[in-house]
Amino acid sequence: MKGILFAFLAGTFITLQGVANARISQDIGSWQAATITQLTGFIAALLIVLIVKDKKWKQFKQVRPIYLTGGSFAAVVIYGNIYGIHSIGVTLTIAVILISQLSITFLIDGKGWFGVMKKEMKLPQFIGIAMMIAGVVILKF
Amino acid sequence: MLLGLFFAVIAGLLVGLQNIFNTRVNDHAGTWSTTALVLGLGFLASMTLGLVFEGTELFALHNMKTWFWFSGLIGVGVVVCLVQGTKLLGPTFAISIVLTSQLGSALLWDSAGWFGLEKIPFTAQQLAGVLVIIGGVIVFKFGGVSKEKREVRKVKTHMKQQTAGR
Repeated sequence: MKGILFAFLAGTFITLQGVANARISQDIGSWQAATITQLTGFIAALLIVLIVKDKKWKQFKQVRPIYLTGGSFAAVVIYGNIYGIHSIGVTLTIAVILISQLSITFLIDGKGWFGVMKKEMKLPQFIGIAMMIAGVVILKF
Repeated sequence: MLLGLFFAVIAGLLVGLQNIFNTRVNDHAGTWSTTALVLGLGFLASMTLGLVFEGTELFALHNMKTWFWFSGLIGVGVVVCLVQGTKLLGPTFAISIVLTSQLGSALLWDSAGWFGLEKIPFTAQQLAGVLVIIGGVIVFKFGGVSKEKREVRKVKTHMKQQTAGR
């Protein structure tokens, strides 16, 4: 039950984050919103690293450099999220992001790219994606 | 509208890719060091692109409100809840709930129009759309998994039968 609550809150927070960024961007601009929320989030995470005396950042050098760059994608992700929410609404934006996110994950899993353990692409995943797209069509048209 | 869809697709592709990259970092460096790195790089990248597109206007925060400084903390809440949820439920179940709750709260937000975002009236058609998407998420996440487990169980039972009494 506690796990369900955490997962439920995580999803709510992800949506809230997008909505808050969209709202902030109305006043100070999209890049400003992305910059400020990432900066304050970074400071908070850094404080937590210091408080819990997490020394694991020393392991960064064991990770292939390309994987360390993932965080930088967030600039475009947040910009796209804000643009989407303003132009097509929260629900449609989140739905399209989910489909595109699950599709790329599915493709990477299927091909075994980036050292991911290769999983066989199965019919249920194709049906799932088709259902999600059908849902978007129902939602909008 | 088309540009909005386009940006949402790009954002989704990058989120998917980022999740995979971040997991690789997380395997070595743990949750908090990874989170700090990810948000730090996100900040640098946002500032760089902001400077490219808007120059020093980026720093002219005319209508700044106090709470804007704290919105970044939501991201920390996301990480805590994701980690705990995944630990307690396993990734498949946890992520299915996360995605469902994301969509549900999005629909709620659109229909309430809180925060002065444009209100999109709630309709039965919208609810139907969201429910079909959630159904798709469940099929995507759980489809084929139970069958795999059943196969494994079959093999295990078979092995037990073969080895029993020897």
